[in-house]
Amino acid sequence: MSYKPVLTRTWWLKHRAFKAYMLREATVLPLLFFLLTLCCGIYALWQGPSQWQAWQITMKHPAVLAINSLALVASLYHAWTFFQLFPRVMPIRLGSKTLPAQVLIAGQWAGLVAVFVLFTWLFRGSL
Amino acid sequence: MINVKVARYLPEQSAAPFVQEFKVPYDASTSVLDALNYIKEELDPSLSFRWSCRMAICGSCGVMANGIPKLGCKVFLRDYEQGLLLEPLAHLPVERDLIVDMDAFLKHLEAVKPYLINNETTAVKSATTHQQTPAQLGKYKQFANCINCGLCYSACPQFGLNPEFLGPAAITLAHRYNLDSRDQGKAARMPLLNTAEGPWACTFVGFCSDVCPQQVDPAAAVNQSKVESAKDMLIQLFKGKL
Ligand code: SF4
Ligand code: FES
Repeated sequence: MSYKPVLTRTWWLKHRAFKAYMLREATVLPLLFFLLTLCCGIYALWQGPSQWQAWQITMKHPAVLAINSLALVASLYHAWTFFQLFPRVMPIRLGSKTLPAQVLIAGQWAGLVAVFVLFTWLFRGSL
Repeated sequence: MINVKVARYLPEQSAAPFVQEFKVPYDASTSVLDALNYIKEELDPSLSFRWSCRMAICGSCGVMANGIPKLGCKVFLRDYEQGLLLEPLAHLPVERDLIVDMDAFLKHLEAVKPYLINNETTAVKSATTHQQTPAQLGKYKQFANCINCGLCYSACPQFGLNPEFLGPAAITLAHRYNLDSRDQGKAARMPLLNTAEGPWACTFVGFCSDVCPQQVDPAAAVNQSKVESAKDMLIQLFKGKL
């Protein structure tokens, strides 16, 4: 005698929190494109210098640049959400106190900046 | 006066649910539960809904208020001046008006063995006092504040899509006992938590924690359980049991 409403495909449009969740999950799409271009790059490198140069030219195409910039922004957004969730998933306890979430979040951003600086330094000549 | 729309379901009158509108007087202290009681006493005695403590501790007055799971006694009409639609808690079968069948939820709670398990004999048990330090208590205290209201299940799209998913409160409860220094039941709870219906079905939407009236943060407990489950699987692997 009971009824149960079924969840429609558009359930995630019903609330801001669900839309934010879908946006977070969708950040993988431009990232997939970036990974694809990266794989093509490795393949082109293996094929020889002319292919490699062709790939480099393709990578400079405005559309490719635009999608890859989007991938960068999307990854940073995903990182932002991830860094915030991390202290809740892996709280660090010292005795009876929990390390404040802000400290862990700041630590992760510091890590990201460190990696960025390291890679800029490694590739400083080739850019 | 505020227009309060209520989703009605009277199976003996019509097979389909319908929405009925009521005009309810209010002041700054009129809760949504007060509004429901006003409707039942003054306007339509056939309206059915659950409540008991009217102070956000029994967990029985959960409803969807404009699509968001809320405790009726903890939200106020003054915050819904643009109008209010009350519906039964989402993702659970509706039996009548605002009354849902909580069976699936209660079964999941039961399934995780939510009680202290230890191997001590009864004689040892009655002789020991099981003292806990503040640090030991602090490990699980937040997760012990759950009042079993079920709001988190109505907030969870994964439970809505798959009612077999153990869900936020049940996994939180399992985690709460696993973290308790007096408990030795983790090995008995992990097999269920390691299944596809355990924490791994969670995609960290996180809305369960937003709606929780007790700040339990079930999403954190569920995702900490993923870490525990992964550790457990690794240990089983090294022991050659997988
Ligand atoms: S975790 Fe919070 S929302 Fe879920 S049942 Fe417990 S008190 Fe209610
Ligand atoms: S009536 Fe008890 S929680 Fe609302």
